[in-house]
Amino acid sequence: MGAAAVASHFPGFVNWSFAEGHAHPAGTPPPPRKYQPLFFTVSEYAVITKLSELIIPTDETPGAREAGACEFVDFMVAHDVEAQKPMRAGLVWLDERSRREFKRPFLELKPGEQSSILDSLAFRAKHRAGEDAGREFFERVRGLTVMGFYSSEVGYRELDNPALRSWGLSPACPHTNDRAHAHLPPPKWAP
Amino acid sequence: MKSQIFDVAIIGTGAGGGIAIKTLTEAGLKVCAINAGRRLDPAKDFRNHRMPWDMQFRAFGDPADRKNVVGFMDAEYTAGVWEREIPFTTAPGTEWTWPRCFAVGGKTNFWGRSSARFGDIDFKAKSISGVGEDWPVEYKDIAPYYSRVEKMIGVSSSVQNRPSNPDGEYLPPFNFRCLDHIIKAGADKVGIPYLSDRVAQLTRNHEGHPACHFCGACTFGCDSGSFFSTPWRFLPKAEATGNLDLRTNAVAKNILVDKEGMASGVAYIDRTTGQEVEVRAKAVIVAASCLASAHIFLNSKSSKYPNGIANSSGQVGRNLCDHMYGEPVTGHLPQLIGQPPFPDNVGDCQVAWMPRWQNLDDPRAEKFVHGYSMYPWGGVTEFPWYATNVEGYGSSYKRAVKRRYPTPISFTIQAPTLPQPGNFLDLDPKVTDKWGIPAARLHFQWDDNTLKMWEHAKVHVKEMLLAAGGVPETAADVKPLSPGWSLHETGTLRMGNDPKHYVTNRWGQTHDVPNLYVADASLFPDPTDKTTTLSIIAFSLRTSEYLLDNFNKRVHKRA
Repeated sequence: MGAAAVASHFPGFVNWSFAEGHAHPAGTPPPPRKYQPLFFTVSEYAVITKLSELIIPTDETPGAREAGACEFVDFMVAHDVEAQKPMRAGLVWLDERSRREFKRPFLELKPGEQSSILDSLAFRAKHRAGEDAGREFFERVRGLTVMGFYSSEVGYRELDNPALRSWGLSPACPHTNDRAHAHLPPPKWAP
Repeated sequence: MKSQIFDVAIIGTGAGGGIAIKTLTEAGLKVCAINAGRRLDPAKDFRNHRMPWDMQFRAFGDPADRKNVVGFMDAEYTAGVWEREIPFTTAPGTEWTWPRCFAVGGKTNFWGRSSARFGDIDFKAKSISGVGEDWPVEYKDIAPYYSRVEKMIGVSSSVQNRPSNPDGEYLPPFNFRCLDHIIKAGADKVGIPYLSDRVAQLTRNHEGHPACHFCGACTFGCDSGSFFSTPWRFLPKAEATGNLDLRTNAVAKNILVDKEGMASGVAYIDRTTGQEVEVRAKAVIVAASCLASAHIFLNSKSSKYPNGIANSSGQVGRNLCDHMYGEPVTGHLPQLIGQPPFPDNVGDCQVAWMPRWQNLDDPRAEKFVHGYSMYPWGGVTEFPWYATNVEGYGSSYKRAVKRRYPTPISFTIQAPTLPQPGNFLDLDPKVTDKWGIPAARLHFQWDDNTLKMWEHAKVHVKEMLLAAGGVPETAADVKPLSPGWSLHETGTLRMGNDPKHYVTNRWGQTHDVPNLYVADASLFPDPTDKTTTLSIIAFSLRTSEYLLDNFNKRVHKRA
């Protein structure tokens, strides 16, 4: 697929495509410096940003931050009336949960404290009773973050998505001596 | 101004209408083609070369529009091409998903491209099994038309020597991917055929059209014309003859009849003005798609035909069949965990299929009659859909998603229903469209025979996946998709020799009205285990030449 530079102009997005080195036709206004959330308040958006960065962290490879996944979360929620109330309620839930256990709002918690809250929402083995609302909220944010990350150019590079390249002929399985794929070399990147 | 009388009026410009338009205009006939939607502009409407980050909602679509979306193809990549203005209704208890593309070229703009021939196992279904319908044609009657169509449109596949899915005239097949070799090993063990699909997508340059360049997302429209669609292949040839008058945004309302009860043209609504327009013609071909064609027949009421035109049999709209679609088995291939991503889906095509293998030697070997086919899907897709099922978050989650990227696998069933008295289309007595045309109303339930195929696939395809070393992960409550998804509906104007029970004869000419023809899947008594498009084109080519012969002889008599 060729990048269609002319299509990449939606008002307000900072990290979606503008920051990814697309060429811009002459006369295009310069991209904005800072993303203005469409739905979340500034303080809510800071929590959403933090959550997205915890869900897809920047580690050996770029993460949600570089992909601008939190912008996508905000953009989708802004267009999804049904998601707005539960999102806002979920943020309240997270704030109350943080203060109840650690006496501080989520953003001021230490990394270990943040993950102790998220672990119980994210892993079946660590689920706690009475946290249904929290789990539903986390799954919403996680779902949109995953959508936003893996549909970005950063996400395509993370997976080495074949759609980033051109293929002139019908690609053929290269393992001509191992049709059963029983003796493939272990992947280089995986731990 | 004296109004023109065309030689032929043709409703619809998709697979059936497109080949009829090409055939008849090239033969010198003056044709008026009536199409309910607009012309598409490949540069604007086919967004297959855009990346998701070039789309406003990253190809997921506007959440606010979610309720209006009609089927999986009505996506951000194809926004604005699906019919949403003309209503249809469903009887209580009926579910029907009906993604209607009324743009010029119809569904050929956005189709799946699988193009297998029907065989005598399909045409003689009743003789073989005692159930269903025999068609009024045999394979030898239609085989030459299949060959001509395959050469015209370009179909890629391999020679497979199975009479149940006859071989055709093919371009080289798509190469097998890693996942194909892995699954084929399991399929061989359990006796399921795993073969190259027949795909109307070019693996070589063909007839002036470039070979596929593997950009992906074909189902969102091809802006290089590397798979078959009528706007790329047939309509330019027809327009070059100077014999085609193509009316767009023209919603066919009814077929006009003269005093003798012969078809005399078509009345349509011009959507841009809301005005009714009449086109006069010496013969009429209806190729609006299975349901829409029957809808037009039922709305063509006159003193001569009070129950709709060509309906003395009472069969117009009846015998509605469909392909059950859905994924009875999903899972992953652990052999590929962590491997470098292979471009499994950059062709976005069915590289392989599992043609019907049930009830071949013994027609009553299974608990159901006839049979189904399957298509494998999986490997590397553009978006990692499995990611939402991977537990957790953080770096470990990110790695897990990457490790599983080449591994997902699923199997789509294509199971034909049998004609049932309760499955039909009629006119809604209350609902009309904005121009006052009564809406189509659908009555449909899956039949027991088809549901047994679904259960059979759950067991046997799972066994195949296990034999291939795969890990089945099918949800316990997996269900078929709703009726209509396949877009392979058939039977509503079915063909047969007896005018008491069938709407058209073996040529697609209506028994009651000799100058009224049908050229879409509504002719087919059942859907078989194969897809319908190639057969629509082949039967329409045959019907068009039969009409031409009648036209040249200046007769339109009952055959």
